[in-house]
Amino acid sequence: MASSSGNDDDLTIPRAAINKMIKETLPNVRVANDARELVVNCCTEFIHLISSEANEICNKSEKKTISPEHVIQALESLGFGSYISEVKEVLQECKTVALKRRKASSRLENLGIPEEELLRQQQELFAKARQQQAELAQQEWLQMQQAAQQAQLAAASASASTQAGSSQDEDDDDDI
Amino acid sequence: MAAVAPGSGASREEEGTGGDAATPQPPAPTSAPGARLSRLPLARVKALVKADPDVTLAGQEAIFILARAAELFVETIAKDAYCCAQQGKRKTLQRRDLDNAIEAVDEFAFLEALSLDY
Repeated sequence: MASSSGNDDDLTIPRAAINKMIKETLPNVRVANDARELVVNCCTEFIHLISSEANEICNKSEKKTISPEHVIQALESLGFGSYISEVKEVLQECKTVALKRRKASSRLENLGIPEEELLRQQQELFAKARQQQAELAQQEWLQMQQAAQQAQLAAASASASTQAGSSQDEDDDDDI
Repeated sequence: MAAVAPGSGASREEEGTGGDAATPQPPAPTSAPGARLSRLPLARVKALVKADPDVTLAGQEAIFILARAAELFVETIAKDAYCCAQQGKRKTLQRRDLDNAIEAVDEFAFLEALSLDY
């Protein structure tokens, strides 16, 4: 869903995501369409508000990148401190996932075949393949040679027999 | 311009969220950090943050928690608005319920501009 006019300010959270959240929060409650629309816009506005505040907090710190801590401070200063404990749970989960992923990739490196060995195996395979190709090529060449020789022999014996048959046909020799 | 937060080591993650709003990221698949991580498409959240010209860089984790905060916000304002509807003895949430909630809650003052064209 690319922003149609290319104008960044037209970006919002997709309606479907908001609808889903409303439904989960207020099951069995009907919600008017214009109310939903307003929620979408409020959510967008909220994100701008927090990120703007977090950005300022970030600028005041010596950091260049907005960190989770900056966001948390922004929430606090704008009166959304009650969200902080739940938001921190997300952070915890992020770290857990990142940790798992790092462990998984290092486990793979340790249990698998080390790179040097893989390279060696690769070289071996290439060498083998080259050899097979060479052998194949040589075989084909030999076969061609043999076939050519046989053809020559066949032709030679054929002309020999015709020669023996009639001398007037000497001229025919030149036609071979 | 979002950067991958140091140590979160995931060009894959970056891609997922930096899918550049071409498709909104679906609710987190089971292989990803639990559905609880966010119901909002992270790529879109990131795009919204980047839309602010003053913002230079935002880390991946910051985006995650901002998305979660936005979720909580939606839940909160929806519930507050519903209270207003119930007070009005209605079962359908109307726009005016949201307007009332915005007016009633101090922290929602930043939304007053949205509520004025009513």
